[in-house]
Amino acid sequence: MLNDDELLRYSRHLLLEDVGETGQQALKNAKVLIIGMGGLGSPASLYLAAAGVGHIVLNDFDHIEVSNLQRQISYQSDDIGEAKVEVAKRKLQQINPEIKVRSINKAMPEMQLTMELIMADLVLDCTDNMASRQLINKACVDAKVPLIVGAAIRFEGQLMFFDHSETDSPCYHCLFPSSEEQTLNCSNAGIIGPVVGTIGTLQALEAIKYFVGLPSGIKNKLKLFDGKSLDWQTFTINKDPKCTVCGQH
Amino acid sequence: MKIHVNEQTIELAENTNIEQLLTHLDKPFIGSAVAVNQDIISRSHWANTIINEGDKISLFQAIAGG
Ligand SMILES: [Zn+2]
Repeated sequence: MLNDDELLRYSRHLLLEDVGETGQQALKNAKVLIIGMGGLGSPASLYLAAAGVGHIVLNDFDHIEVSNLQRQISYQSDDIGEAKVEVAKRKLQQINPEIKVRSINKAMPEMQLTMELIMADLVLDCTDNMASRQLINKACVDAKVPLIVGAAIRFEGQLMFFDHSETDSPCYHCLFPSSEEQTLNCSNAGIIGPVVGTIGTLQALEAIKYFVGLPSGIKNKLKLFDGKSLDWQTFTINKDPKCTVCGQH
Repeated sequence: MKIHVNEQTIELAENTNIEQLLTHLDKPFIGSAVAVNQDIISRSHWANTIINEGDKISLFQAIAGG
């Protein structure tokens, strides 16, 4: 049951036929793990906290640097040197004291990640490197936990959703089988704040839809965003039967 | 035959597979994804996927930033 404060706080959700009190209660019961609290994790976590996602776990091992502030909107100049997850946790609790926020201020070893996944309904991959992305994907496949992946560089964004509770779901590794760090990241290629913000915001949107029971328009799809033309391209991701992560092996 | 690669029309020999196309275009295999007519082709199928006249090929790179 929602209390009076919650009924008021979430009144704009309650007006929506697709959310209503049932959906809001589902958001309150939801447990999300956000891995990476940079340019994607900032807007994603802010929106999920504001929306009333009841249990949010934040994971990152970085401290805030001045070069983060151009895009990582959870943080301000006073926060430089502090642990990202601690500042973000404080911020989320200020936005919404009705929810529970927990922080994990380290790079999680595989075992701990597996334990966290037992408690999570959904994972947002908001990380900034290929090795973490492959590790998270594998853990989510094994634990059968749905995964929303965001990535951004320069003016480009990528967004995908894999529902690993379904056994025939493809995975991130089907799409990008190489864990070699040939890929571009924000520190070597640059990034425009609103581009990474757009992708992180859409990760939050997809998470809210998932929790309230709305179908995702991007399940097993890869969405490519071009921040210059504002064009989106949509591709179907097929399961690779020979995938070493999700295939029959 | 004519095909389209990222919106550009190019001339390509018949019976070219995806691996050969990437080599022809001098694109790296690692970190690349390839879609034929919006359908992503898994890496393990590149060698046995033959490109047809008029196919729309999309090539893009994995990005890891966030
Ligand atoms: Zn796979």
